[in-house]
Order: sequence, then C-alpha cells, then structure tokens
Amino acid sequence: MRNVAIVAYAQAPFVAVDEHHTSTEILYPQIRRALADCGVEREAIDYQVGGSADYVDGRVFGFVAAVDVMGSWPPKQDLHLEMDAAFAAHYAWIRMQAGDCDTAMIVGYGKPGEGELNRILNLQLDPYYQGAVGLDLASTSALQASAYMARTGAGDADLAEVAARNRAAGARNPDAWLKQPATAAELQKTPWAVEPLRQGYVAPSCESAVCLILAAEGKAEKMSKTPVWIHGVDQRAELQSLGSRDLSKSASAGMAACKAFEMAGVKTANDVDLVELSALTAAEEMILREAVGLPARGDGGPAINPSGGPLAGSAAMSTGLVRLGEVYRQLSGKAANPVKNARRAIAHAAQGHALQHNLVWVLGNERRWS
Amino acid sequence: MSAPPTEPVRYIDSNVYLPYDYVAGDLKALYLRALKDRRILGSKCSKTGKVFVPPLPNSPESFAPCNELVEVSDQGTMTTFCIVNIPVIGRNLELPYVAASVALDGADISIFALILGIKPEDARMGMRVRAVWKPDGERTGSHDDIAHFEPSGEPDAPLESILHRL
Repeated sequence: MRNVAIVAYAQAPFVAVDEHHTSTEILYPQIRRALADCGVEREAIDYQVGGSADYVDGRVFGFVAAVDVMGSWPPKQDLHLEMDAAFAAHYAWIRMQAGDCDTAMIVGYGKPGEGELNRILNLQLDPYYQGAVGLDLASTSALQASAYMARTGAGDADLAEVAARNRAAGARNPDAWLKQPATAAELQKTPWAVEPLRQGYVAPSCESAVCLILAAEGKAEKMSKTPVWIHGVDQRAELQSLGSRDLSKSASAGMAACKAFEMAGVKTANDVDLVELSALTAAEEMILREAVGLPARGDGGPAINPSGGPLAGSAAMSTGLVRLGEVYRQLSGKAANPVKNARRAIAHAAQGHALQHNLVWVLGNERRWS
Repeated sequence: MSAPPTEPVRYIDSNVYLPYDYVAGDLKALYLRALKDRRILGSKCSKTGKVFVPPLPNSPESFAPCNELVEVSDQGTMTTFCIVNIPVIGRNLELPYVAASVALDGADISIFALILGIKPEDARMGMRVRAVWKPDGERTGSHDDIAHFEPSGEPDAPLESILHRL
C-alpha cells in the first residue's frame, strides 16, 4: 500500500445562512488557504475532486461552478461526487493507490439554506413507497432513533446526555455554529423535532465550504511538517429500503470499521485517541459508537467528537469531510481544542437515510507502511 | 381480503416541488443593481487584467482573485451566433431570430444576447451591436433590463479582436 497523508485543511466557519456569498464564493478562499497552508500553487495539484449535490445547489450541473474557483486552466483531472465530500477524498485515495496521481485537492460545499433540505432529501428515497409517503431525513432519523431506543432501552435522558457532551465540546471549537454549551436538562426541555428526537438532539443545518489536500509519501513530507497519514479506510452501503434493514443498528458502519481497522492494524476502536463521527442525531452517535465497537455512552475510551461533531453544526455535503479535517487538526497539533497526546484517530462519514452508507477512516501521525 | 386487481398500474405520478431562494452574493448584487442604472460591471483579474462579465470572484484561467469592479461598454461585437427556428418555452418571439455571444467593449469574455433589428441572413461574426435598454422606470436590476441588442451600424470588428473572447 502507498502511504498517503492529509497535508492541509481549510474550512469556512459554520454559519446558518451566508447572505453575502454564493457557495463557490465561500469555497474560493478556502482553496487559497489550503494551498497556502501546504506551501504550493495550484500547479502542484494533480487531481481535483468535489463533493456537492445539484439538488442542494438548485441547478443542473451546479458542480461545474466549483471548477471555476478551483482554477480551470490548465485543465486538471477532475471528478465530482454527488455525495458528502469525504467520499470524494476516498476516491482520490484510491486513485493514489493506483499510482494515477500524487496530490489531490478535495472540496465540499453547499448552501442548504437556499432550498429546503428535508424536501430535497426526500428524493433520496424510492419514489414508489417511502418517498411517496413524505418521509424526510427528520422522520427517518426519528424512526431509527425509535428502533434503537426500543432495542437498547435508551431513553430521552441518554440522548440528552450525548447531545450535551457534543455541545460542551462545540463551545471550544471556533468553527462550530452552536458555541453555547447546553446541559442535558436544558436539552430535554427543547421541543420535539420529530418524536423521539428533540430539537436539541438534532444537527443544525449550516453552510460552509471545505478544502482538504492529500499527498502521497515523497511529496507529503515536503508539503507539511505534520502530515497526518491514512492508515486504513473502507466504505460499505446497505439497502436503500428502510424496511429491509435493522434500523436499530448500522451493519454497514460496523463492516466498514472492521475492514478499516484491519488495514490500519488496529485491533479495536479503543486503540485510537479520538473519534469524529458524522452523527446527525444523538441516537445516531450511540448507534455508530456501538457499530465501531465502543460503549454507546459514557466516557473512558477515546474522545468522541471533540469538535462538537455535527450536533454543533453540520454543513450538507461537507459533514464527513469536516470530520476528516478535524482529525487532521488534532493529529497535526493544529486543533483549538486539542486532545492530549493524540496519535491515532477514526473519522467517519455517512450518506443516505438512517446511516445507509458509511465510510470509516483510521489516521495517525506516523506512516502506516514502511 | 379481496382478490388482487387484474389491471396492472403502469405509471405513478411523482411530482417534485423544490423551492429555492438563491443568494445573489454581494458581487453579483452590485452587478445587478448597476443594470438598473444602465451600467454593466465586470471584475478584473489581479494578475492578467482580464475582465469578466458578469463579475467572478476569481479568474478561472489564472486562479488569481479579481479585486476590482470595472464598468464595461454596453456596445460590443457579435463573436458567434445561431439562428433559432424552433419556439422556446417562455420566449414569445417571432421566428427565426438570432441568439448570439456578444463581447462587450472592455470585457474579455462574452455574454449571451438576443439580437433583434436584423435579418437572420445578415448575422455575421464581427458585427457590431449595442444594447437596447428597457425604458427608465421599468428596469428592476435584472438581466431583463437589457431588452435585446441591435446592430449599431459601425463597421465590423476584425476577427483578431474577438478570437480570444468567443
């Protein structure tokens, strides 16, 4: 295997709605900052991959606008995924393993505030049954939370505790949207989003744009003094139909974690120092913790979402890439809220309703393969 | 339970309704607002000096930021064109008509424009045209503020002047 590292990361701080910039206008300065961060010009990048959604952009071929701000001359190899940009990073990593390129720029962006995200995400469901009855992300997340609570006996107070821990962490992250901590008792008083999920247990939809740069061994050391190396990665997808899966669990997250750990030479999730999960609800966090082999609640193991996680702010199409970026910040010593002696970490991204499709990374501040 | 229906359902209706409120952005907002005053703004590349209309935050070509807004002319040169012979939904124009790319004087890329006041067979690359604005009081700060373009009667521009502004 080829050692590949994250060498730069730049993120626009989360905001609810940026009324002054289009999505690509938010993205352009992040690309400049990421390139400056690793001391190279655009010429040094072999490959560029974007993660965004035309339905979020509200325009056909919306992603080509991003090519303008990534620079379009001379032309580069370019690819776009209609997915969270963390999946774009995985695609670039695969191309690097194949020896097709040495460096790649990954971007994620979107302005969910321009449209109605819940309405848009209804289109991810099949048009015959699930889409037709009006299910949206809020309701499928609640169905999943309900299934999880029924299986495990977890209650409202448990979800509140998970959410409160994320909010406390978010208060220490300058890029987070919700910077006000909230106690479990306070969150338990927030109104229902969709029962059994309260508004305080659900990720607030934000806007941001993100640029992350990957480089293979040989170039990575020249571009960063503190490259963060990819030790293992895997992604797995489940059936689209909600009725065909056990919603109380995430089998695909478990399988992706198992394969990523195997590649990374990690026995269990307890061997890492921190975990960043794309959990859009408190229940999703508990399901994901269980799937990767951690206790569903409580402290003691690795730090969970020290950035505050999506519950402190989630930007459609970048939520997963932000997890990768937060891990990079932690392991390269650039985090505003450092986890002590962090050397190895897990980053997770998800796509689809009720954790249909999961991507798990293991990263470390040393090379994986000699 | 009654027997299953014998007639198959061949299609279902699935209507997609997605409303959006697009943020114009400060840069495009200035551009749109200027149209109301019969002014056309472009942004200038800080590295090459090329001017983009409508304004862009950076040059896609040089990747350098565009830090300056400049006014360009409402007259220009037809760089390429087509003759439209089929009706377009939402556009009630007499067929055939000419749709063209117009490089405005002072701009380094062209905009799309409707050309009226011309016989389609007379359309040609290099033909000089000028904007016909909607009357005062009817302009709202949108692209429709330019009703169309029409020939200005000036001699044709040489091909070299538009080769890189198609």
